[in-house]
Amino acid sequence: MTGALSILALKSAAAGATALAFGGAPLGVLMVARRLSLMGDALSHGILPGIAIAFLMFGPNPAAMLAGALIAGMIVAGLSSLLARTGKLPDDAAFAIFYLAALALGILLLGRAHDPDALESMLFGSTAALNHAGLILAGGAASATLIGLALFLRGVLGEGADPLFMKTTGARFGGAHLLLMLLLALNLVAGFRAFGALMTVALMTVPAAAARYWAKSYGGQAAVAVGLSAVSGLVGLALASAWTLEPGAVMTLCAAGLFGLSFLAGTHGGLLQTLARRPHLASRPSA
Amino acid sequence: MAGVSLHNLRLGYEGETAVDGLSGRFAPATLTAVVGPNGSGKSTLLRAIAGHLKPLSGAIDLEGASRGRIAYLPQAHGLDLNFPIRIVDLISLGFIGRRGLFGALNVADLQRLGAAIAAVGLEGLERRPIGAVSGGQLQRALFARVLVQEAELVLLDEPFTGIDSRTAEDLAELMAAWPGQGRTVIAVLHDLDLARRLCPQTLVLAREAVAWGPSALALAPDPLARARRMADSWRVAEPASAGLSA
Repeated sequence: MTGALSILALKSAAAGATALAFGGAPLGVLMVARRLSLMGDALSHGILPGIAIAFLMFGPNPAAMLAGALIAGMIVAGLSSLLARTGKLPDDAAFAIFYLAALALGILLLGRAHDPDALESMLFGSTAALNHAGLILAGGAASATLIGLALFLRGVLGEGADPLFMKTTGARFGGAHLLLMLLLALNLVAGFRAFGALMTVALMTVPAAAARYWAKSYGGQAAVAVGLSAVSGLVGLALASAWTLEPGAVMTLCAAGLFGLSFLAGTHGGLLQTLARRPHLASRPSA
Repeated sequence: MAGVSLHNLRLGYEGETAVDGLSGRFAPATLTAVVGPNGSGKSTLLRAIAGHLKPLSGAIDLEGASRGRIAYLPQAHGLDLNFPIRIVDLISLGFIGRRGLFGALNVADLQRLGAAIAAVGLEGLERRPIGAVSGGQLQRALFARVLVQEAELVLLDEPFTGIDSRTAEDLAELMAAWPGQGRTVIAVLHDLDLARRLCPQTLVLAREAVAWGPSALALAPDPLARARRMADSWRVAEPASAGLSA
């Protein structure tokens, strides 16, 4: 699947991974906080038919694939929230129906591609895809994410922490969910061709989950998550290149390893800290 | 300043009537206690005034209060305590009505924020995550947000239930001063002594208004006994749902 990385490919992969860390990880913190971690995973499959159609029509053109992914993402997210609004199904079930159908459609479409490895490289990535245009897309996705979050953070945080207040005051920011989905799709498209859809989601959510063991505020968690994600990406790439392994998978395992470390040694409720404190407490602190 | 007028109001859920034939007015800059037996429609009334429940018939007139300046503190606060925001961020949400979703706070805003935090006695805890404070401290923060919001209409549902007595006293004192600052306050209370002591006006509710007026009259033995008798009659009529909804 992926051969040894050349020095040039390694450099551009490292740049791509760093961009993904800056765009994806702050988004991942919000996804984890809003209990949408698996939604990112699901959406990464949901956008597949859009990418496939774009690929079949325009070849590996980043702009076309981005447009296809965004359209497919909107359709899946939109239809599932309409279905959830009928009240008969919980949100996740409504989402599952559409993303599974989309995934199936994507597989069928990609089966029609002349390139037999197309599907595999969609799901697991190939760093060779990180050419000049790919890097611009990754950097653009990171910039757009940071700008978007900076502008709308108050609404996104308010909607997440106290939706009832937002509704009462008429400030209900229905755009919060849509914005998250849009930025998520953007980062997925930027990352999936190099590292694979699944691994891109992993580099967003696993460092974000680990960051909860190091910081309490959103800003703190986002900063830690960016750092962990970048380290996972760069160390993962170096190891993958040294041992000729699949980069996306090694990066994800690095992130998982850092999560384990955070879970053990984290300063905010890490296992060692909890164990060290236990004898001094008569009862658990109430939240 | 905004009052609230109710016109022949009927409220309910899925055909079940919780409040019926309620008419009257909460005058601007007054503090009214709403009391009544379990299931008398007190919380339902607040939900409807807050705009979260559409009347089955009749109307609620907020007399020009802007939605951004309505503060509603339901019994279950509905906050996601795992969400990574700090006490100061929670209180600052009160600025959303005037500064929008991304307007920056100016110097006066920051002063107001500091004053609100001081008024509820949360200095030094501003940077704590909302999940790392006690229920009483969280309630203090929500009261601070009412100040930041410059709320014209404050709807409180059992605001002193389940918090420490020191906090309850502090916040009750704060609440009693609000009409003097031009706020209209409607508070569901189960503590009748507190209602007598702090609230000039009381509405005794038992699906309909049993008494509504000066607390000394409304909280006399006669209307309270009448409200209890009415509640007993619902319990006989519908034993399964009795006492479940407040």
